[in-house]
Amino acid sequence: MPPADPSGTAVLTVESVAVRFGGVAALSDANLCVQAGTVTGLIGPNGAGKTTLFNVISGLQAPDRGTVYLHDTDITRMRPHRRARLGLARTFQRLELFGTLSAGENVQVGLESSVKWWQWHHVRRSFPWVKRGTPTVGGVPADEPTGPGSIAVATSDRLLEGVGLGGLGAEQASAMPTGLARMVELARALAMAPKVLLLDEPGSGLDDAEAEALGQLLTTLAAGGMGVLLVEHDMELVMRICDYIYVLDFGDIIAAGTPEEIRRDPVVQAAYLGTVAVTDVDTAAGSTVDAAVEPDDDGEVAKT
Amino acid sequence: MSNFLQFTVFGVMLGAGYAIAATGLVVTYTTSGVFNFAQGAVGMIAAFGYWELVAAHNVPVVAALVIILILGASISGAFVERVLMRRLHGASVERPVMVTLGLMVILTGIATIVWSPTVERTVEPLVSGSFRFVGINIQYNYVLIMVVALVVAIGLRALFYNTRTGYALRAVVDDPALLGMSGVSPNRMSQYGWILGFMLAALSGILLATTQQTGISIEAMTLLVVSGYAAAIVGRLKNLPLTFAAAIAIGLAENYVLNYIEPHLSSQLQTDVTSALPMVFLFIALVTLPSVRLRAVGRLTSMRAPRVASGKESLVAGGAFLVVAVVLAVAFAGTNIQGTTLLTLGGMVMTLGIVALSLVLLTGYSGQVSLCQFSFMGIGAFVMGKVAGGGSLFGLVAATVICAGVGALVALPTIRLSDLYLALATFAFADAVATGFFADGRIYGSGGLTIYRIVLPGLSLGGERAEFLMVTVFFVLAAWLVLAIRRSLFGRRLVAVNDSPAAYATVGLNIGFTKVAVFAIAAGMAGLAGALYGTVQQIVGTTDFDIFPGIIFVLFVTIWGIRTVSGAFLAALTYVALNQIWPSSVGLFAGIGVILIGRAANGILGIETLHFTLPWRKSPPAGTAQAPTPSFDGAAAGSEGLSAAG
Repeated sequence: MPPADPSGTAVLTVESVAVRFGGVAALSDANLCVQAGTVTGLIGPNGAGKTTLFNVISGLQAPDRGTVYLHDTDITRMRPHRRARLGLARTFQRLELFGTLSAGENVQVGLESSVKWWQWHHVRRSFPWVKRGTPTVGGVPADEPTGPGSIAVATSDRLLEGVGLGGLGAEQASAMPTGLARMVELARALAMAPKVLLLDEPGSGLDDAEAEALGQLLTTLAAGGMGVLLVEHDMELVMRICDYIYVLDFGDIIAAGTPEEIRRDPVVQAAYLGTVAVTDVDTAAGSTVDAAVEPDDDGEVAKT
Repeated sequence: MSNFLQFTVFGVMLGAGYAIAATGLVVTYTTSGVFNFAQGAVGMIAAFGYWELVAAHNVPVVAALVIILILGASISGAFVERVLMRRLHGASVERPVMVTLGLMVILTGIATIVWSPTVERTVEPLVSGSFRFVGINIQYNYVLIMVVALVVAIGLRALFYNTRTGYALRAVVDDPALLGMSGVSPNRMSQYGWILGFMLAALSGILLATTQQTGISIEAMTLLVVSGYAAAIVGRLKNLPLTFAAAIAIGLAENYVLNYIEPHLSSQLQTDVTSALPMVFLFIALVTLPSVRLRAVGRLTSMRAPRVASGKESLVAGGAFLVVAVVLAVAFAGTNIQGTTLLTLGGMVMTLGIVALSLVLLTGYSGQVSLCQFSFMGIGAFVMGKVAGGGSLFGLVAATVICAGVGALVALPTIRLSDLYLALATFAFADAVATGFFADGRIYGSGGLTIYRIVLPGLSLGGERAEFLMVTVFFVLAAWLVLAIRRSLFGRRLVAVNDSPAAYATVGLNIGFTKVAVFAIAAGMAGLAGALYGTVQQIVGTTDFDIFPGIIFVLFVTIWGIRTVSGAFLAALTYVALNQIWPSSVGLFAGIGVILIGRAANGILGIETLHFTLPWRKSPPAGTAQAPTPSFDGAAAGSEGLSAAG
């Protein structure tokens, strides 16, 4: 299936990507496209290849075949940090935080990622007797104090507030509950001011109210022009905030369309709920995909 | 032609011995995820034990083999897994490296006490006699070694791929919890792996000992299996057939070089090449390995890092330290301890303290293990001695810059690999430099290299007191530098690259550049320390910067706390003190200490129960680590922050 780019404003395009692990095809012929200013969903059962596709896009996994474009730039063979510098940020399904740093420092690392530490004015800031008159990150005016009151810290505090973690900047990241730690990851990704944001199950570990707020946040980000690609098992959240959805199964994109189109697609229903005919995929909405296919206590797969 | 055949047969035999050791390494790594640096030391102990039984106590060969291989090795392997390694599951990467290094120095320490290095010992071949084949003489012992290696290779292959136990042994590292759920004890499988690894190490040690016509020595036998390390690396620590083939190829290459190339070199170079060849093979094996794919491992570092002193605190502490040093310099000038003045010992503490600080930066912050900081010290001392005889400040600068450059060259080829491979590369570099460079009489000279004390216009630093104060100032400056780096954005990056390389790359930061940069800075610091060490000692010899003292020193820093400046100082202090009081047991102290510390990542100084709060300091408010329940009320306010970022 070719990537859909009706408006021609694609910020991320994946073409015919294939990845094999030994004899197993994790991705067969994946195609997708993320538009600027939209939230695009990528859904599918466990093992469908969603995280592998994220790894290919972010450069952690080389594809056997296929091409990845960021705007018009072919980034297929580019190293991960170069892709990130071009405006690609991501979070991980299993947390990848800088655990010994605080939440605020995690965000600072993202904020300062474009800073060359060996430049003298940055080296100078490390001297204990230097208090003022030194430039800080991101072109922020130079006469700000260093240390806890610096612009970098203040900006990381603002980012943490933005994801609902106001006042938690000093907490060690590895000591935070999973839900909060996911938000630190999100704030760190946002600190890079990305053009495309890849989110791998950001809603896991959040309660309903928090998931609702996360949805609002992602919508706000997209409204600001960012392209968001979201892998999420919370169907209610996906259906509510996504502008366009791709469905991945056994390494193939089996369906693509608006939430309404996906909701009514019989192929998607079959992929999620087996071959039993159902009239409305709404039965899965509000629960997770896992719950729909997981066996119950007696070992039987629920077919509602 | 007959020479070529003779060399080939001997090369294959040598390779077969390496192959047994290498497959033992692979088995241990495959079943426990741990690279056993003590593999050579286990083989060494087995060889000496075999000599003790057969040559000293006339025990029959078969009985001696049963005692060492079946009883000794298997019980030791099981013991090491149960007592030392099992509690390291989930610990940071450098922990198993340090513990197996600790085991290595313990075994070599015990061997030195039990078997005096001054006594010559020769291990007779297991079977005597020879036969002629296509015009060459072949010893039955060589054939036996080749047959044993082949049987081991085929047997292991059959075990791993054709038996249920073999599948479980291979599965245990991938997912021990999943293996446990299938009814197989992952601990038991790991234990089998260690037992097999120890038995193969002992077997290779005994077999290789029988080929040492000039006798066996503790250090040589411990390092003899390094060629086996190279073979295991070529097999990427998992592929047994490739490991076996690589071991044979290395045995052949080594024998061809020794017989075809070496005779054309000068006698001094011949010694250098013979000594350094195994390490060169190991280094080549590491350099030619394909890059390791960056993985999102989902491992969250749960260690609480020690608090970093603020700029003001470090200024005050550094000032106080200098005042104490001045008082000591005045009070103890001329005091001797066992023939060495206290201020000279103090100077050694300060210079080694700078080396320890380089390890804080490199291993403590960025998680990279270096076993060659003493090599950089030696190079620094050499540069210092050659620049104006050591009496110039320019010598210090040259030593620092040259060592930083050499450090970058050592790190560059292996930085794309995992941290274990960097540790191995530094191990190879340390031994190659010690045996192939420092041991060369032309480098330090037969009586050692003289390094004069620094002379500045209008300021005499030639006296012992002035020298002590000068190196103390350098130590304090180095401590300030390390703390300043940790507080800086580069320091945050060092910690970040250690915590999650995958996340580090995906926020736009270059892992390779960061790692090479910190390695070069640490090497430069060690080079500076070496230059200063030279000015303190005024003469440095060929054995001052050997691989074993270097490893033992790394263990001392680990024991006290490799993440703190105070740990670095205490490590240098205790290392120098023990070397002065009880030099033969320093290795034993280091090995036992690092094993007792186990998985305590912050060393002795990080053990919570040893902490106390000074009465005039406030305790941290209760519940500071408790995260409040999040709310997204800040989402609107956050939009300001987000738009600022975007």
